[in-house]
Amino acid sequence: MHCHPVLFQMNKVNMKFVIKNIAKSSGRLGQLRIKEDVELSTPLLMQTTKGGSIPYLSAEVFEMLLKQQQQQQFLLQLTLCSMDQMAESLGQWSRSLCDYVGYPGQSTLLLLRDPCEATPTGGNDRDVVPMFTRRGKEALTAKRYMEMVAQFRPDVYQGMCDADTHPESTKKRVQKSVDRTEKFMEECYAEQAGKQESFSQCTMLAPLVGGYSTYARTQSIQHARKQPSESYGGYIFEGFHTNGLAATNLKSEQLLPIVEHCMQQLETDKPRFMPGAFTPPLTLELIRLGADVFDTSYAYLAAANYKALTFNYDKDAVPAVQAVFLDVTDDELKEQFTPLLSNCSCLACRQHTRAYLHHLYKTHELLGPILLMMHNLHHYLGFFEVIRTQLAQDELPQLLALLTSQGSYSIQPNTKVIAKAAMGKGFSSNAA
Amino acid sequence: MSTAKIPPLTYKVIAECSVSKARAGLMTLRHSEVRTPVFMPVGTQGTLKGVLPDQLIELDCQILLGNTYHLGLRPGIETLQHAGGLHNFMGWPRAILTDSGGFQMVSLLELAEINEHGVNFRSPFDNSECMLTPEHSMQIQNAIGADIMMQLDDVVKTTTTGPRVEEAMERTIRWVDRCIKAHARNDDQSLFPIVQGGLEIPLRERCVTALMEREVRGFAVGGLSGGESKHDFWRMVDVSTNHLPRDKPRYLMGVGFAADLVVCVALGIDMFDCVFPTRTARFGCALVNKGQLNLKHQKYKHDMQPIDAACGCSTCKRYTRSYLHHIATNESVSCSLLSVHNVAYQLGLMSSMRDAVQRDEFPQFVREFMAEHFDQEPIPTWIREALAAVCIELPADATIETKVEISAPTSPPKDLKLSS
Repeated sequence: MHCHPVLFQMNKVNMKFVIKNIAKSSGRLGQLRIKEDVELSTPLLMQTTKGGSIPYLSAEVFEMLLKQQQQQQFLLQLTLCSMDQMAESLGQWSRSLCDYVGYPGQSTLLLLRDPCEATPTGGNDRDVVPMFTRRGKEALTAKRYMEMVAQFRPDVYQGMCDADTHPESTKKRVQKSVDRTEKFMEECYAEQAGKQESFSQCTMLAPLVGGYSTYARTQSIQHARKQPSESYGGYIFEGFHTNGLAATNLKSEQLLPIVEHCMQQLETDKPRFMPGAFTPPLTLELIRLGADVFDTSYAYLAAANYKALTFNYDKDAVPAVQAVFLDVTDDELKEQFTPLLSNCSCLACRQHTRAYLHHLYKTHELLGPILLMMHNLHHYLGFFEVIRTQLAQDELPQLLALLTSQGSYSIQPNTKVIAKAAMGKGFSSNAA
Repeated sequence: MSTAKIPPLTYKVIAECSVSKARAGLMTLRHSEVRTPVFMPVGTQGTLKGVLPDQLIELDCQILLGNTYHLGLRPGIETLQHAGGLHNFMGWPRAILTDSGGFQMVSLLELAEINEHGVNFRSPFDNSECMLTPEHSMQIQNAIGADIMMQLDDVVKTTTTGPRVEEAMERTIRWVDRCIKAHARNDDQSLFPIVQGGLEIPLRERCVTALMEREVRGFAVGGLSGGESKHDFWRMVDVSTNHLPRDKPRYLMGVGFAADLVVCVALGIDMFDCVFPTRTARFGCALVNKGQLNLKHQKYKHDMQPIDAACGCSTCKRYTRSYLHHIATNESVSCSLLSVHNVAYQLGLMSSMRDAVQRDEFPQFVREFMAEHFDQEPIPTWIREALAAVCIELPADATIETKVEISAPTSPPKDLKLSS
């Protein structure tokens, strides 16, 4: 049978994952090789994007920020719902996806939904998942979804799933999400197998759904594990939350048992992706349970709501307990000519003051979110550096204790923010 | 302070065009050297929208404009004083120029009313009545601490005619004396008077003569670029530069379209400002020599070239028109990307003009620029006339109609002409 060698070639998984160390009470350290010359340490922070760009930041500005970081390579988390209209252009683009979005040489992962924005509920069907774009809702079949993935050619992409579940979902809704996901995934695997040249450079992640039901989660995992191991390169956890700020309000006592239940059933050598704006303490708990890859949507959501991240993750800092956030809308900042966070080496803190950031908020100037995003990303990337260092010494519990002593990390929407900074239809052209 | 002995502004002509009135100069300010002719991007509220100070430095921007009216309202004089001035407040180490605040009142506020004392207006925030006087304008600008500040002038619509124009011009002269008297930091900041006089040559001449009797380090030409005919516009610039002293910088307020910049440099202007390059960026438009590309247009959807292959800005180095088409006006980062390009374009154009003047090849530069800018469209008469007035003759419009467009897919299409 000559389909055999073909299958072998087609199922080649490009992404490689090596566990370097499993710490007893801290989680796992690994190396994720997405493509040649791109080697990333896990626990890894993916860069969340909107329309292919890191929110508010041009590539030039992001690279200014990156100069302060140890790791110069990163994984861009792109979302189909914010880039769908680019599919046709990308079909004509001869270079790679990372070049198109302005980050040559970096690696890309394509998600269906945007972890930064609350995904509306509903619109799921036996044959389609809804994609909520700028222009409204579009019903995606698995075939259409895979066509678009083929046009994008990301290094990594997720399999299609019904992820419309959250802590309060009914049993029936949860079961539907599992059953439909199985069906979608059968079609995705078939598409992948049928179009080897389109997908030869792309690694698929198997979605795990099932809300907060151990039974449903097990069923979803079993379906994924039934597939030949080479047909997907890792797992992506879906259906714990419906994106946006909701993820910052998840209760650990609800989330952790179900995640632990899942982790026990997964083989160790595949990376586990956990998109969404989990709070920093919850992120540590998820890492302890064996999650490997997260994203920067938490840093974004804080910036979008005019909060600078100021929680302390340095065990030697004095005082150890600091405020979790600095609210830039606070009128008390009006004449505080000090950095957002003292001793922070990010460009926003080196060159600008709280008073200036407050002024930019008051005047709805676009530079406000830019500087906040720079600070928050710098802070969060530093947090992940510390996570990896502490994890190597099995000291994540101490880090978690330091974090939880500082207060609540959930992000409340900033109702004072009038419009998304001077953009879109709300252009305020009140300049001179 | 030792710096107090050096004037806060020195200006030196480095080269002059042997044909036109164009000149290249070096202006030395407390915070920066500024090579002229210069375009000053507008950072209305203490920021150039969506662009970091470091990015502006990377673009070799030497001077920014701030708006006194906006800054006086937010963050307010007190905060600016406590911050140690606008440079500190916004983290911009190079030079700043501020306007007087008067123009915004007249253009933004319906309720502004001008009398001899000053400009009476209603605050847009708390609806209280305020009066902006020449003294008050100086006080705010002293707090802002810009390298160059503007006198409060009596602004009338450029289309106004009759005795009101003369009254405004005369009042502007009276107000400059009040400004000079009220200016508290003459050792750090240079106050420019503003040439007014509407669209009447004798009034402009009279105003220039009167202002030249004052001790100032540079001059602004105001009251133009507000909807008057281009025919009048260039003549007012021309008559002003004819009389202004050679050894002081001349600033034409509110002018920034590419063709206008080239004409007015030929007429002897050294400094310009305009919100257009950054405002148009927010609407998805990118500036190129041929005009501007409206990137939202469908024809750029699959256009895989940069905005301008010859441009060295960070946007053109990385992004295609196609990608920019998709994110323009949708993602806020598009404002930053297009603003960087558009500022780079403006600064590049000025730099080309300075080089051309220094090589004494400015007339040739003008001819090449106009040919490219207007491509196959006729060059407007006012431009021909203005340039002829300074002895730069443009060739007759091309009569070769059927220019074969070999490079049809690659040549940037023309969306919008920048001419009036």
